[in-house]
Amino acid sequence: MNGKKGKIWEENVIIETITRLMVPFIQIYALYVMVGTEGAGGGFQGGVVFAASIVLFTVTFGISKGRKRLPESWNAALNSLGLYLYAGVGLLCIVLSLGAAQYLNYAALPLSQIMSPAHTRALMISDVVEVGIGLTVMSIFASIFFDLAWKGEGKKNKDKNKGDKEVQE
Amino acid sequence: MKPISAMALLFVVFLGALFIYVSEDIPDFGDPYSPANRYVNLHISIDVGADGLEDSLRAGVIPEELSSRIKARGFPSPSETEYSVEEVEGGWDVLIAKEELLYPEPEKYYFLKEEEEGNKLVVYRYSIPVRWEEKCEEEIGVPNMVTAGLADYRGYDTLGETTVIFTAGIAVILLLRRRGKL
Amino acid sequence: MIDWSFGGGIFIAKYNYWISILLMLIGFYAMIAKGNLLKKVIGLNIFQTAIILFFVSLGDATLGSWGKGVTEPIVKGTLPWAAGGIVEHGVVYANPLPHVLMLTAIVVGAATTAVALALIIRMYEEYGTIEEEEIIEKERELGV
Repeated sequence: MNGKKGKIWEENVIIETITRLMVPFIQIYALYVMVGTEGAGGGFQGGVVFAASIVLFTVTFGISKGRKRLPESWNAALNSLGLYLYAGVGLLCIVLSLGAAQYLNYAALPLSQIMSPAHTRALMISDVVEVGIGLTVMSIFASIFFDLAWKGEGKKNKDKNKGDKEVQE
Repeated sequence: MKPISAMALLFVVFLGALFIYVSEDIPDFGDPYSPANRYVNLHISIDVGADGLEDSLRAGVIPEELSSRIKARGFPSPSETEYSVEEVEGGWDVLIAKEELLYPEPEKYYFLKEEEEGNKLVVYRYSIPVRWEEKCEEEIGVPNMVTAGLADYRGYDTLGETTVIFTAGIAVILLLRRRGKL
Repeated sequence: MIDWSFGGGIFIAKYNYWISILLMLIGFYAMIAKGNLLKKVIGLNIFQTAIILFFVSLGDATLGSWGKGVTEPIVKGTLPWAAGGIVEHGVVYANPLPHVLMLTAIVVGAATTAVALALIIRMYEEYGTIEEEEIIEKERELGV
């Protein structure tokens, strides 16, 4: 493998077509799993399935095209958005009840005057907290995968590449 | 074999022998009355010799001696908060209402049972999942007990866990961004 | 011949414990005795999986369910397509507490594996090898 200067992978029509068909359905299934209230599932499970769809796309089409779908400028925003949502809801419960409720007690929001407290809790769990957890987990796992797989042009790699060429010639 | 492989094998065999030694305390597979699933014996008992004990339990009053002994062990004692006694098959349930701001509902805490030998009344303590299984639908409204436990009953732990994932991502970024790309 | 009810049913009645102990010891041996750094990380993962399996199996209540077995901890009869919304009675649920605690443990294990793999990549760039003995020799040559 050191001697050839050819392509690293070949294009395969079957795998590309099937991947292009499967990725949207995997993402819809991930959103279904993320709402964990009526069946099995939860925030972590849905986030990991979503990250799996990004990994499938990247493995098939190459890392440059995969990085274009999830650009690096979105990385900082999506990483911390889930955590902001979760901790923010907790602080909101303290602020909105003027110091009478505890942190993360969802029944203290004024929404519980309109619907019953049990309904408020179910709404907050399934629509705010789980989606926040899912976003953070998805972005972190995709970022870890791209970091582990990127063959960058740092100082060490440049020296190694030069060394290979000299040995060949 | 290399010397470290032989030493590791001996160490692993010794550890296996230790695990055999403690295996009699592990509950059976599928036991519905193990301490993790149902209740734990607190070894606080009182003689059933006194006549008025059963009548007072039916009327909903717990004798002072039991309350003080429960409190001396560090558990919440029934005589200081509101409590009620219900009769179920095999014993009596004691429900205690803790002082919470928005949901002061009584929950099942202790289970009093009569043991045959020696005519004693023994106090058991319910474990927490019993309350989850019974109250999950009406307190939270989510049929899935695991999600209700993760996001509402134990929501603080989930906040810490999301922070752990976030920190792992930041650690990988700091380790692996090559020079000039961060 | 062999009395399987020895010690109150130690062997047959607790087979979940023995399976998880076997996996745990395999993972532990791999962590200590293998020289390649990547095999140590795999041993760590096997160890974690064994512990999680044992803890989840503690929440089973099959023996008290009149031969029907336990269901997962989702309240039956409230899904829209099941029996018109009537809650069923007489259903024995598995204990939901071990599932909750082990979700956290799985996620922490995944995060630990990610950081360990990143460390292995950095060590390969520094020393050129991921065998433990060669790294120790190189460190000794540097005169530490």
